[in-house]
Amino acid sequence: MPGSQPALLYVFLALPVLYLVGFVGFPIAYNLMMSVQEVNLGNITEFARPFVGLDNYRTVLADESFRKVLVNTLLFVGFNVVAQIGIGLAVALFFAQGFPGAGFLRGLLLCSWMLPALVVGALWKWIFATEYGVANYVLQGLQLTGSPIHWLSDPAVALTSVTLANIWFGMPFSMILIAAALTAIPKEQYEAASLDGAGAGARFWYITLPALRPALLAVASLVTIYTMRAFDLIFAMTQGGPLDASNVLPLLSYQFSFNQFDFGTGSAMGSFAFLIVFAVALIYVRTLKHEEVAG
Amino acid sequence: MSLTLRRLGALPLGGWPVTVIAALGVGIYLFPIYWMLISGLKDSAEIFANPPTFVPRAPSLAAFEYVFVRENVLRYLRNSLVIAIPVMVLTLVLGSMGAYAMSRLRNRVVDVAIVVVLLLQVFPEALLATPMFIIFRTLDLLNTFTAVILATTSKTLAFALVILRPMFRQVPVELEEASFVDGCTRLQTFRLVVLPLMRVPLIVVGTLCFVQAYGQFVYGLTLLSQQELQPATVGIYSFVGAEYADWHRVMAFSSIFVLPILAIFLAMQRRIVSGLTAGALK
Repeated sequence: MPGSQPALLYVFLALPVLYLVGFVGFPIAYNLMMSVQEVNLGNITEFARPFVGLDNYRTVLADESFRKVLVNTLLFVGFNVVAQIGIGLAVALFFAQGFPGAGFLRGLLLCSWMLPALVVGALWKWIFATEYGVANYVLQGLQLTGSPIHWLSDPAVALTSVTLANIWFGMPFSMILIAAALTAIPKEQYEAASLDGAGAGARFWYITLPALRPALLAVASLVTIYTMRAFDLIFAMTQGGPLDASNVLPLLSYQFSFNQFDFGTGSAMGSFAFLIVFAVALIYVRTLKHEEVAG
Repeated sequence: MSLTLRRLGALPLGGWPVTVIAALGVGIYLFPIYWMLISGLKDSAEIFANPPTFVPRAPSLAAFEYVFVRENVLRYLRNSLVIAIPVMVLTLVLGSMGAYAMSRLRNRVVDVAIVVVLLLQVFPEALLATPMFIIFRTLDLLNTFTAVILATTSKTLAFALVILRPMFRQVPVELEEASFVDGCTRLQTFRLVVLPLMRVPLIVVGTLCFVQAYGQFVYGLTLLSQQELQPATVGIYSFVGAEYADWHRVMAFSSIFVLPILAIFLAMQRRIVSGLTAGALK
């Protein structure tokens, strides 16, 4: 390391880190503080507010919508991770055959991921419209369903609808990352396996999957993190309704704060979401460290 | 290519026929975007036609005209740009400084800083909205672009640092050493040697941050209650949230809003794809 002014490097490092600590770290800490206080519209800007201990957390745990929405969140995130990785892997393998134009067409898929999440939500709300929506028209035309599906107004279907929309939105991103990891697998391994008589299935199972494991774990963490942020998309499609059927934790927490002005309970609810994201983030950071050592 | 084919088990056809299949698949996948664009070209009768028309019978710009004249699309677009451009600039300045330092320093301080950044990028904006609201209310910055710009940058900056760090590592240290020998200071070396070499990655990351900030919704909704200041995402939302949405108009509004993004993406497709893959997994 050249000895020339390393002090400047520390200044360079400190500025963005301090910015993030100020505008992300501090809000998180503030959120934790609010979760043990009674915060309403009247005292929201005061610093000293009544301390209520774990009351807000008790309110949250006793709240029926919270339990329902916690299950929703796990289902929503779980299905997104499984589908985005499963479909993403299949699509990446398909494009890895290297036919003419493969790279361009594969990149084109990323168009859906480039759209603002709010626009994706608005677009799918229109596609999923019960009466004039194109989804019902196509499904009925193909005789896959008799009567129109109430995609967004039927509590039994709404979570599926927002999940489908979010998979469409996010899958290309997972696919691109998996495709990148695929190209990093040494070709010699496949050649050696072929010479030993391994078929396509065996090569996938014994070479491709093990080699992809760290990347898949990293992608799964990223998908979880991005899916927990799906606020915009769900807000535009259903606002979490009907009857919280398509609601997820960050959105419910936001609604407690900004619709009911119950900021304390909203913050306590947010703490649970923080916990989930934080646990996944630790896994993500670990996979990255692991990769750095390996590669 | 023959290697690739052998390793994954080629389809029986191979070559151009596979390209046709792939193009069809991509076309079907992107159908929703096509549907958005053509829905905006329909009139109020055709938008509710049964069966729906997959090619507009009489394409008309009436819905576009309506949103321009009645919904003030231009004001919304201007607001989105007034937020997105400073976010991009601020992110690139702080991001290139931080990523450069992270790529050159090697000690525990940097390790901790990297983990802090990785962890801070994961929290959903919706959960930070209340503290942000209180912070900016205390600073008396509610209903200012400054508030939204500062809040949004906290999201894009973490992302930029994560993507840029491995890219800065690829600048050879030897080039910097040569520059020191020539008598340049660290700051001059950064400005005159390192940044020019990083031009392409910085453009890619800047574009991605611009797109994120341009489509930002939560902070626009929470920190700006004056309609004149709200970005286009909030405008589209208030349009969709209505009991009976005029879908051709909503889609026209959305199309105008996203066409610039799609154009930028198509122009920079290869670079964006390689930038993303280089950054997110390392």
